[in-house]
Amino acid sequence: MPTDKNNGHGNTVVDVKNLTKKFPDPMTGEEFVVLDAISLSVEKGKFASIVGPSGCGKSTLLNIIAGIETHDPSDGGTLDVYSDSEVAEPRVGYVFQNARLLNWLTVEDNMIFALESQGISKDLWRERVDKYLEMVGLEGQQKNYPLNLSGGMQQRVAIARALAIEPDILLMDEPFSHLDEITARKMRFDLMEILMRANPTILFITHDLGEAVFLADNIYMMSTKPARIFKQIEVDVPRPRKPEDPKIFDLEKELVREFFSVLDAQELEDG
Amino acid sequence: MSEKATAVSIRIGSIFVLIGVWYLFAKLMADVEVLPGPLAIAHAIWGVLVEPGPEGKSAYFHVGITLGRTFITFGVAMVLGIAIGLTMGLRKVIEYSMMSLIPLALTMPTILMVFLAVMWFGFNEIGSLVAVVGVVTPYVAVNIFQGAQAMDKSVIDMARVFRADKKMLIRKVYIPQLLPYIFSAFRFAFGMTWKIVALAETFGIKYGIGYMFFFWFEQFNMELVLAWIIMFVILMLILEHGVFARLEHAAFKWRPANKLQT
Amino acid sequence: MKSLNLKPGLVPGVVTILVSLIIWQVASLFFIPVFLPGPVYLIDLIVEVYSDPASYSVIWQTLTRIFNGLVLCMLIGTSIGILMGIRKNFESFMDSWIMVLLTFPAICWAFLSVLWFGLSEWAPMLTVILIVFPFVSMNIWEGTKALEKELVDMATVYRSDKWSMLRKVLIPQLMPYIFSAMRIALSLSWKIVLVGEAFGVSSGVGQKLIYWFEETRVDMMLTWGLSFMVLMVVIELLVFRLWERHTFAWRHQIAN
Repeated sequence: MPTDKNNGHGNTVVDVKNLTKKFPDPMTGEEFVVLDAISLSVEKGKFASIVGPSGCGKSTLLNIIAGIETHDPSDGGTLDVYSDSEVAEPRVGYVFQNARLLNWLTVEDNMIFALESQGISKDLWRERVDKYLEMVGLEGQQKNYPLNLSGGMQQRVAIARALAIEPDILLMDEPFSHLDEITARKMRFDLMEILMRANPTILFITHDLGEAVFLADNIYMMSTKPARIFKQIEVDVPRPRKPEDPKIFDLEKELVREFFSVLDAQELEDG
Repeated sequence: MSEKATAVSIRIGSIFVLIGVWYLFAKLMADVEVLPGPLAIAHAIWGVLVEPGPEGKSAYFHVGITLGRTFITFGVAMVLGIAIGLTMGLRKVIEYSMMSLIPLALTMPTILMVFLAVMWFGFNEIGSLVAVVGVVTPYVAVNIFQGAQAMDKSVIDMARVFRADKKMLIRKVYIPQLLPYIFSAFRFAFGMTWKIVALAETFGIKYGIGYMFFFWFEQFNMELVLAWIIMFVILMLILEHGVFARLEHAAFKWRPANKLQT
Repeated sequence: MKSLNLKPGLVPGVVTILVSLIIWQVASLFFIPVFLPGPVYLIDLIVEVYSDPASYSVIWQTLTRIFNGLVLCMLIGTSIGILMGIRKNFESFMDSWIMVLLTFPAICWAFLSVLWFGLSEWAPMLTVILIVFPFVSMNIWEGTKALEKELVDMATVYRSDKWSMLRKVLIPQLMPYIFSAMRIALSLSWKIVLVGEAFGVSSGVGQKLIYWFEETRVDMMLTWGLSFMVLMVVIELLVFRLWERHTFAWRHQIAN
C-alpha cells in the first residue's frame, strides 16, 4: 500500500488522484479500464460515501485503498493514506458485505485477532473489546460464538472489530446490503450514533442513495463502465439526522434524478 | 417406552442375542478347537491378562508395543500427510506433480506395501514405519488437499486487510478451517494404521499383538487366537469411538448444536 | 494467442513420473535386482512371467474369487443395508455391529477362516465378505435413510403396498448408492483377497506374493504385485466407466 507519513497533508487521510485501474480480459487478453481517473479525498473525522450502480468497480477501488488489490502506477494516478502517528503505518479498518468472522473463535477472540494482527499492545485488548462491543450494542457477548448470532449481530461484531483497531480510515463496502431492510435501518441509526461518539474517518460504499444521503458528509457519485466520478456534493445537515427530514428527502430525490439522467446519457452514447 | 429407550434396549439386547447364538453353536459343535464358547474365551482372556505369556512376556507388554508403534507411525504419517496436502493446496505445481503419483500410491495393496517395507528396511521399527507411511500418508494428503481447496478465500482476504502475519494466518485461519478435514483424516488414518501395524507384526516384526495372533495361529490354538482378536478389537473400538469422538466434540464446540449434523 | 489445448498440469505430472522412473532406475543400479529391480529389468521379468501360460490360471483363480466374493458381498450388504434403512428396530439391532465389523482387521478373518475351514476356497472368500460387506451396508443404509422420508410420504398418498414400493421406487432410486457401494467393494475386495490368499489357500496371486516374500525375492513380488495392480485398475476404470454411462444415461440427458 502506498503510504506517506504525516507531513504537509493537512487534515486529509485518504488522497486519491487520477487513479486508473485496468484488468486484462480473460477471454481476449485485451485490457479494459475499470477505474478511470478517479480522484477523491477523505478528511479526518468525516464520512465520505461513494454511490454507484452494482458492479461499477466501487469494491475494486476500496480493495486498492485497503491494499488487497494493486494498481499499476504507470496507468496513472497516485494513492496516499496518511497516518496521525509519526512512526506507525496508517491503520485501515474494513467492514465487508459479509461479516467475514472467524467462526471458530469467540466474539472477543475475533476482535483480538484484528488487534493482535495490528500489533496493538496486549494491555489495551480488554479495554478495546469491551468499549467497542458496548458501542455496537453487544455488551456481554464476548464469549459467544459467531454462529450463535443473527446476521445483523454478526455484522455488528465486524464493525466492532474494525473500530477496535481505532483505524485512521474505516472502509465499509455495502455493509448493510445483505441484511433485511428492517435490520439495515436499525443498523444505520446505530452507525450514526457511533459516528457521533467515536468520530471515525469513514469511506463508505453503497448503491443506495438514501443510505448515502442519510449517513454521509460528502458523496461521490460514480458512473459505470468505466467507473468515473461525475459529481461530488456535500450533505450539510447536522447529526442526528432523520430520514424524514425534508432536507434529506429532497436531496435524495434530486440525486436520484441526476443519476438517471447521467446513466441514460451514457446508454445513448453506448448505443 | 420412548423411541430412544427402545433403541437402547434393542442395542443391549443384540449383545445378548449374539452371545447366546455363539453359546448355542459352541455347545452344538462341542469342539473347543473349532469354536470355543463365550465362557471359554472369557476365561482365556482372563488368563492372558493375568499370566505371563510365551517367552515370559505379559499381554500388557505386547499391547504396549503395538500401541507405541501405532501412535508413532500414525503421528509421522499424519504430519507428513498434512504437510503434503497443505502444500498441494497452496502451490499448483506441487498439486499437479503429486496428483500424478498419489493415485498409484492409493491403489497399492497393503500387503504388498508391508512386504516391500520389511524387505527393504528390515523386520524392525523402520520397516513398520515405512509400511504405514507408504499406505496412510497419501490418503491423509488427499483429504487435507480437499480441505485446503475448500477454504474460504474471503476470510483469508479479511486477515490480509487486518495485516495478520504468516503465523497468525496459519494458526487462526488455515488450521481451524482444515480442522474438520484433519479430524476425518485422523479417524480413518488411525484405523488404517493399527491394522497395518498388526499385519506387519504378523509377518515377523518381533512382538506386539499381531505377533501374538500369528504365534497362536501357528499352534492352531483357536481359543487364544480368538481371545487376542476380541481384546484387540475392543481396545480399538474404545480408542476410535470413545476417545477420539470426545476429542472431536471438544474441538468443534463453536458449531451450534443444530448444525453439528451437517 | 491461442496455445495448444493441453490439460493444465499435464507437463508437471508427466515430468514427475519421468523423474521418479529415472530415480528408480538409477537407484536400482546400486543393488542386486533380487533386492531392488529397476523398471527396465522389471518389464523384462513381467514379459517372461507372462509368457508362461500357467501364470494366467493364477490370475484367473484370483479374479474368480474376487468376483464370487463381490457378488456375495453385494447381496448380503445390500439386503442388510435396505433393512436397516426401512426398519428402525433392525437398525438399532445392527448399527453397533456394523461398527464392530468395520474395526476388524482382514488378518483376523484370514486366520479365523483358515482355522474354521482349513485351506479351502472358503477361507479367502469369507475374509473378503466379512471385511467388505459392512462397507456396502453402510452405504446402502445411508442411501435408504435419505430416500425413506419421501418414500413414506408417497406411500401414504398413493396407498401402495410395501413390496411394490420397494421394487418400483426404492431400488431404482437407490441405484447410485448401490453403484458407489459396488465401486468401494471392488477396490477393497481385490486387496483383501490377496491377504486371504496369502494365508488361506495354496493358489492365486496372494499366494505368489507370500511365496516370493518368503524366498526374499523382491523382483518377483513386484512382478506379480504391480502387474495385478495394473490389471485391477484397468478393470475398475473400463468396466465401471462404461457401466456408469449406460446405467445413468437418463441423468446425462437431463443434465444436457
